[in-house]
Formats: sequence, C-alpha cells, structure tokens
Amino acid sequence: MKEKYIQILGITMALIYGVFVVFLYAAEPRSLEEISSKAIETVQNAATKGQVIMGTYEVDQAKYSEGLNAFRQDNFIVARDALAKADPERRDARTQYYVAYSYYRQGWGRLSNDDALFRQALETLQRVNFTDKNFRSDDADLQLRTPAELKNELEEGLRVTADDFNPLKVLRERK
Amino acid sequence: MNDEIIIDADEVDIPEMGSPNTEIDLAPTRAKPGRATLNTLYLRHIVLPAIFLTVTLLGGLRIASLDGAFVFFRPALVCLIFGAILLVLFARSGVLRVDGWFSESFTPIKNAANGLVITSLFAAATQIFNSLLPEQGLTFWIVAFCFFWTLWNNLFADFDPRQLFRSLGGLFGLAFVAKYLVLANLTAPAGRTWFETLTENPGQEAITRLLDLPRYAGSTGYIQFFAVALFLLGLYLFPATTVQRD
Repeated sequence: MKEKYIQILGITMALIYGVFVVFLYAAEPRSLEEISSKAIETVQNAATKGQVIMGTYEVDQAKYSEGLNAFRQDNFIVARDALAKADPERRDARTQYYVAYSYYRQGWGRLSNDDALFRQALETLQRVNFTDKNFRSDDADLQLRTPAELKNELEEGLRVTADDFNPLKVLRERK
Repeated sequence: MNDEIIIDADEVDIPEMGSPNTEIDLAPTRAKPGRATLNTLYLRHIVLPAIFLTVTLLGGLRIASLDGAFVFFRPALVCLIFGAILLVLFARSGVLRVDGWFSESFTPIKNAANGLVITSLFAAATQIFNSLLPEQGLTFWIVAFCFFWTLWNNLFADFDPRQLFRSLGGLFGLAFVAKYLVLANLTAPAGRTWFETLTENPGQEAITRLLDLPRYAGSTGYIQFFAVALFLLGLYLFPATTVQRD
C-alpha cells in the first residue's frame, strides 16, 4: 500500500475515533447500553441544527396540536412537554408563547402566585421577543395576546404591593 | 523514544520482493515501500493515534462507587497547560523533533497525518494529567502544584530522551500511587447511612469530607493503570522524526 493511502487511512481512522471520544465526553453516557440512545439523540440534534442552518426548520405539527390540546385542558406539564418536542430548537414564537402562557396559567393563584413559574414564563417570553418582535397571538382563548401584555401581567404578579392584601383580589379571574 | 531511521516512501524507490512483474516492470514508476517501511507507516499513522486516543478516552473515565455507572470527567484547564508543557519538554529533549514531523517539503497529506498524530499525543498527555490529578479540593491543588513545579524545573534542565522518559515514569508512578492507592484508601465507601458512618469508620468519613474526595469504584484504578501504561508504551513507540537522516 502506498504511503499516501496509509496516511489517508490514518487520518480517517483518527478523526472517526476522535469524534467518538468527543461524543462520549459530551454526551456522558452512564452505561454501555446508554451509548446507542445518546448517539441517536445526538444525531437527531445535529439534524435539527442542520435544518435551522439550511432554513428548512419546521415545528412538528402533530406534537404542537397535542401540546395545544393539553394546554386547553389545563394540563400544563404535558402541554409543555409536547410543545418542547414540537419545537426542540425553541425558535417558533407561537409555540414559545404557549409555553410562556402555560407557565403563567399554572403559576397563577387566587391568593398568591408561584414566583418560580412566573420567572420561567418571563424567560420564555424573552425567546418570543428574540424570534419575533411583532408577535401577536390569534388565539381567542388567550386574553393576553401580546408578549408585552403577558410580561406586564407576570411582573405585576411578581411584585409585592399593598394591592396584594386587598381581600377583593380573590374575585379576580385568570386571563 | 524510538530513534530508528525511517525511510520516506515517497522519496525512495524500493523494489517489491517476489512480485511477478519485477523483471519486466522496468518503467521508472513510483516504487512501493518495503515491509519494514510499511510497518513503520502503520505504526506511525494507525497504531500511535489509536494508542493515544484510547488513552484520551480512558484518562477521564471513572466508575461511580454507588451504581457502577460511567463518569466521564472532563479535563481541567490546568491539564491542558500541563499537556502543552509536556509537549514542549518532548521538543526540548529530542523526543519530538518538530522539523521531522512538519516540513514544507512534505506533502499536505503527510503534514496533516503527522499533525493528527501530534494532536492525539497532546490529547493523551492532557488526559493523563486528568487521570493522575485528584478531581477537586485541596488535594487537587497540592498535586497540581507538585506537577507544575516538576515540569517547570524540567523545562530548564538538559534532558536526553531516556532521562526524560525515566523522569516521567517516576512522576506518573508517584502520582498514581498517591491518588489510586493512598487517597483511594482514605476514601469512605458511598451509600452508607450516617449511623454506619459514625460506628464503622468515622475517621475515613471525616477525611473524605475534609479533603473533598470523590467516591469511585476500585475498578477506576485498574482502568487508569492501563491508561498510564498505554501512554508510556505510546511514548516508547513514538519516533522522534518521520524523515530519513543521514
């Protein structure tokens, strides 16, 4: 075999082995069985990233519908799980708005709000603004149609004011 | 450490023995390399990267004490610095002659292939320090300082490859004993209740917590012993240069 071919073979094998080592340290499988599942996950992530770069990235409509149904049934954890699977790259403003709204609705309470969930909603809203600054929801079920309105509602919920001690507050409705 | 002369197959014509076309093939075509040259090429471009990448893989591998799960421990920044210093030491002592691995007269493929071998050597050196340094806490800084002190002094010493090889063998051996024999024996096993901890061996538990020692299974030591031995074998097989020297 010519020297050149041995060198090319060496380069190829070293690159493949090197990528495998890097993959192991990046994916951190905890057992031999987990290596294959982590590899599939890595390939899927790479494929999605490729779609984003190529501009062909799309939300999985089936998962999106599943998430939306769960959201309407107030099953927010299932809704977020399905929406996360529908939009793994978190680049779709509409999907991310529902994720933020699900945090709001889950965290809303008549007497007090869940601050941790409200903060997560605010974080998600930042992604909505990042992907689409002029986003406006066309869902009639949502009373807060824009990120600005939802953000205001969340910030109001997080702030402690004298109004929080108003007993009439228990009569307010979730939006 | 291997100083044998290596013939560059692109430059030298070597007739292939036993070929049926030996007598009639008189055209001045590029000849095929001989058996010894082929073996040297396989060693340099296939075996050495395989050895060094295996060391890279194993150097950060630990086995969790509680459930036997793999733990891939990424190298700290200081390991990269030590790896770089080690490569400089190799270059200073003649273990690695830079002009024998990279040259404008080489083909791009040869330079690239040699570059990958050197890269795999650097990765392995980094992971060896990752393997031998304690993972965290006070012991990490003490052993890291000892490594740094030794490597820094070596940088200004006159070494030949044999002396450097001995020095590294001693350094790695001592670090291995310190981490995988001494510290490992001071580490309390995982998964004990606080009552068991207090009644069975409170001193061991206190040292483990005081020195912030991670609890790994005993098999980690065996894996790391293999990794260190493999790295030293790789260094022994590593040629100083890839070109023929008269």
